[in-house]
Amino acid sequence: MVELMKLNKRQAQAMTTVQAEQRGQYLAFSLGGETFAMDIRSVKEVIQFTALTEVPLMPTFIRGVINLRGAVVPVIDLSIRFGRTFTEVTRRTCIVILEVGSSEETCVLGIMVDNVSEVLDIGERDIEPAPAFGSNLRSEFIAGVGKVNGKFVILLDVNRVLSVEEMASLTAETPAGK
Amino acid sequence: MLTIQEAKHNGHPVLKLGGELTIYTAAEARSTLGERLDRKGALPELDLSGLEELDTAGVQVLLWLKREALARNKVLPFANHSPAVVDVFDLLKVAAVFGDPILISPSR
Amino acid sequence: MDLDKAKQTFIIEAHELLGAMEESLLAVEGQADPAESVNAMFRAVHTIKGSAGLFGLDAIVHFSHTVETALDRVRSHQLILSGPLVSLVLECHDHLSSMIDGLQQGDAESPDSHAEGEALISRLLPYLEGHPGAESPAGSALATRAKGTPPEPERGSWHISARFGPDVLRNGMDPLSFVRFLGTLGRIVHLSPILESLPQGPDFDPETCYLGYELDLETDADRQTLEDVFEFVRDDSQIRLIPPHSKVEEYVQLIRELPEEDRQLGEILVAGGSITAKDLEQCLQLQRAEAYEGGRVQGRLLGTILIEEQAVPPPVIAAALDKQKKFQERQAHDLKVVKVQADKLDKLVDLVGELVIAGATAKVLAALSRDGRMLESTAVINNLVEEIRDTALGLRMVQIGETFNRFRRIVRDVSKEMGKTIELEIHGAETELDKSIVEKLNDPLMHIVRNSIDHGIEPMEVRRARGKSDTGTLVLNASHESGSILIEVSDDGGGLNRTKILAKALERGLIAEGATLSDQEACSLIFEPGFSTADAISNLSGRGVGMDVVRRNIDELRGNIEIDTEEGLGTTIRIRLPLTLAIIDGFRVGAGNASYVIPLDMVLECLDLGPFLESEEHHLINLRGEVLPFLRLREIFQIPGEPPSRERVVVVEYGDLRAGIVVDKLYGEFQTVIKPLGNLFRQVKGIGGSTILGSGDVALILDVPQLIQSAAAVTR
Repeated sequence: MVELMKLNKRQAQAMTTVQAEQRGQYLAFSLGGETFAMDIRSVKEVIQFTALTEVPLMPTFIRGVINLRGAVVPVIDLSIRFGRTFTEVTRRTCIVILEVGSSEETCVLGIMVDNVSEVLDIGERDIEPAPAFGSNLRSEFIAGVGKVNGKFVILLDVNRVLSVEEMASLTAETPAGK
Repeated sequence: MLTIQEAKHNGHPVLKLGGELTIYTAAEARSTLGERLDRKGALPELDLSGLEELDTAGVQVLLWLKREALARNKVLPFANHSPAVVDVFDLLKVAAVFGDPILISPSR
Repeated sequence: MDLDKAKQTFIIEAHELLGAMEESLLAVEGQADPAESVNAMFRAVHTIKGSAGLFGLDAIVHFSHTVETALDRVRSHQLILSGPLVSLVLECHDHLSSMIDGLQQGDAESPDSHAEGEALISRLLPYLEGHPGAESPAGSALATRAKGTPPEPERGSWHISARFGPDVLRNGMDPLSFVRFLGTLGRIVHLSPILESLPQGPDFDPETCYLGYELDLETDADRQTLEDVFEFVRDDSQIRLIPPHSKVEEYVQLIRELPEEDRQLGEILVAGGSITAKDLEQCLQLQRAEAYEGGRVQGRLLGTILIEEQAVPPPVIAAALDKQKKFQERQAHDLKVVKVQADKLDKLVDLVGELVIAGATAKVLAALSRDGRMLESTAVINNLVEEIRDTALGLRMVQIGETFNRFRRIVRDVSKEMGKTIELEIHGAETELDKSIVEKLNDPLMHIVRNSIDHGIEPMEVRRARGKSDTGTLVLNASHESGSILIEVSDDGGGLNRTKILAKALERGLIAEGATLSDQEACSLIFEPGFSTADAISNLSGRGVGMDVVRRNIDELRGNIEIDTEEGLGTTIRIRLPLTLAIIDGFRVGAGNASYVIPLDMVLECLDLGPFLESEEHHLINLRGEVLPFLRLREIFQIPGEPPSRERVVVVEYGDLRAGIVVDKLYGEFQTVIKPLGNLFRQVKGIGGSTILGSGDVALILDVPQLIQSAAAVTR
């Protein structure tokens, strides 16, 4: 496993606090040709795609689990979660390790993405609310739309996308849960 | 938590102590108040009305301050002893040791 | 130095003491010689009162004082511990317990709590002042006083000299609180603070204690009680107690031994009323004379003086020796038990888990290296790791007896409330289970026990009519079975009424009209939500919230629950739980291109499927005459691809159920750590966790009980 980027959470928070109210940092990545970004504060690290162990009878968006330095971390295919196709594994495929949840209960998960590009610096003023239509993504998954260098980047609400509650209930509906 | 407020009463400097003067705040009290001892001029009056808690460590600091003032030929009066302070002074019978007049308000 | 931490310790220890007190109270009614139990409960209250005094918790001191006095009377045979008194003291115990709980929110006593306490105290008063018929002929000083006799003549006061050690404040104590507490034991006639040793200038350390005092206390308390007040500072401080009416020489001796000026001390003693000025003068002169006699200092040890003057009565000495002996015994016992914080234990187990995995990896690499010495070395290491693992896991185990014992109180209270007499029998209290399981078992067991008492065991008249003994019996039993733990709750009550159950189920639309159900199926109906055949909803159970929640709790522990009942004879509820240890011995198997792990202690044997296959259609194997169901991992987990021509079967056992698990490959035994899969996978049936193999790959741990149950279900 090669670590492409390991962001110390504190550093990430410090970086964002320095730029306090105005600017936020977002990790941009591509999925099925589209560019998305997520708040860097949820990101723990990014690793190259590695051997996955499949867990039987899971909904397809749960690709399996990996061994992350002794911890067993589930990996989710974001593309399938968004109702699109299976993510093909290439040498640029990455797993972004995130920590999601509330202050009482956090959970470590990984998401599979086609590749990770850069960290974007986006000011509050450059973020517009999610469009009511036009995106084929569920609206609650979108935290906003950011404008960077004239282009638009969809900012994901990671806690909604990876809501353990929702995913667990979807799991219950598969043959495994019956 | 110990608070020390500077004030003036009839032109005299007053230091109002508030909160707790206990083992937790004794060191702080000793250094902050001890430092005042060496300043030029008359020492302020220590207003104890805001003290809600006092323990042995607190009593010791107060006594030390009194004696240090005396050693410098100065006077450090205590005034407006709060009920908590009166209670402890009474229990340990140290009022006489300090020598300040303690006003017992009608409600007691 | 953390006063809050000290207070937390007080709260924890107070609860332990209260637990011991309750146990003694419950045990005492059946005992021929209750002396031991009475002592135990007295000591508990006494210690709580003392400790509370140190923290200045006046409300607790005040309340426990009365309880202690009553128990003291019992202890000295002035009062008999009758049934009503036991119940009253139990109520006092409960009140104390809630006062201690209230400390978590702050020290102040709520007005309600105060009123409750006062009510209990007034109910205790008759026992203190003498109760006709409950007292033995030897009266007590308190009793005589209450009858209106004139107060006893001047008792004189104890003189207490205290010079506190420098670290007393740092250790969380405060001389002030001793004074307050002594004030509750009697009247402080005189007190002189000693602040001579307070240094001037920079030498003054605000956290060092320089305070001492000389005080005189008028009290009925005995020497032990007074000594106990200073128990926690004894070692660092000089505390001297001189009983009332002691000879002058003793006070003079004290003066000599204390560092301050003789005259000053003398004046203090005179002021306190211990000696007269004239006596003092005489003695001081005598002392000086003695001192110069022949250039040697002659003096007598205070202790010697005391004994010679017979100031310490013989029973007190005997008690002192006794106390010393008990203290030594307790020290020896304390060495056998160490309190450990739960999170430290968890951390240790985690680390041992990592060690196990690392050991496995090393073993794999050693094998690849083909270095003989390396192989041997890793083998030695792995053996040691296994021992450490077993020991560490053993630390997490607690005896179920603790949980069972809590039910004694409940059975007592509830049966009294129901007007029934029920005896509780406990078997298998030493059975150990993982501490996390024990905590979660409490609620379901509670409900089952209440059910038994409320609905199971019949009222006395009914029992008599049925020719049963008046006293009902409730049995709690725990034992180990292969890979699991079995807990049974049995009663000799009326059993479950099948007709009633079926009627209720019909009413609720749970079964169809005319449906035929086996006994087991009928009984299982009571696990449906909202089910209750109780005619009258009693205070405790019968609200219909019960058994479905119980089953859910057991499910969460990955266990199962079954009912065995016979009308008129009684009911037994059996709960089976897997022994979930963090580190297990596993047996690794393969299906498709993944590995799975089966807990080794559930594995009976491994075979080739071929020779033992009985029926593919019905999924049965024939194991030397025994026909068992099997399931194929490939099928259950919908693994794509064709199975190999030669399949294997692992025969597993859980409780009294057996089944075969058909897999592609058998790999062998190995030790591993269970890594939980997290909430996401909670719903998956058949997988109980994951683990990391020596190669770094993740393998899934099979939940054998669940698999067996589904295999059995399929066959049916």
